[in-house]
Amino acid sequence: MTGPYATAIIVVALVLAMWAAVLVVLDRSPGRSLLIGGAILELLLVGFLIGGIVQMVQSDRTFARAEFVVYLLACAAIPPIGAVWASAEKTRAGTAVIALAFLITPIMVLRVQQVWAGPVG
Amino acid sequence: MADPGVPTAPAPTGQGFGRVLVAVYGLFALAATARSLVQIATKFDEAPVAYLLSAFAGIVYIVATVSLARGDATSRRLATVAISIELGGVLVVGTTSKLAPDAFPDATVWTGFGSGYGFVPLVLPLVGLWWLRHTRGSEGIVATTQ
Repeated sequence: MTGPYATAIIVVALVLAMWAAVLVVLDRSPGRSLLIGGAILELLLVGFLIGGIVQMVQSDRTFARAEFVVYLLACAAIPPIGAVWASAEKTRAGTAVIALAFLITPIMVLRVQQVWAGPVG
Repeated sequence: MADPGVPTAPAPTGQGFGRVLVAVYGLFALAATARSLVQIATKFDEAPVAYLLSAFAGIVYIVATVSLARGDATSRRLATVAISIELGGVLVVGTTSKLAPDAFPDATVWTGFGSGYGFVPLVLPLVGLWWLRHTRGSEGIVATTQ
């Protein structure tokens, strides 16, 4: 859960967040390449969700399992929800929503890691 | 600026800057609700007040998110009420958590004026109320003064 895979997700999400933030500043619409970047991030997050649940099932440790699954689901859900909400508005505000979704993703991944590491409580 | 003599219709609350605001509200709705549901389901006895308060905060954020996104006249009123409750909640819970930390054995989204969430919970209702005021147009003013 704290391995290179999770680190890769954090790095990809931060790069995409910065990219989207630059587009907001320049007042440019997100292009095809940002969309592809978002799709790659989403694939990584779906892998994180599946891998996380598999590791959880195989583990005997005590940690907040329900919370863990909820945070994993939230990780995978946030970029698509952000994209749908942003797509209704082809302006700077729409791009800012996309930037926000990418920025939240690493925070959610860190929360997943905290729940995985920590004891119940 | 619009001519003050000509009533202007309220602007949508879920577009432009409002779209970003709704996204932030949606995020807090998700965070507070999901967190409280897990806490209530798994360890309710440890801190029932804190967990019920988290659930209440989650509901307030959901109402604010949906009503800001919809933005019709009823939704504007609902959003104003929800965001006012949110402001009251973060101030009361924030103050209480400072004066009597024992009252909250586990943190809520409003504990310490939202310090666990970068103080966004304290700033968000102020921005929300400002946005409702900013987008109301002058029809609302005319309607309430007549």
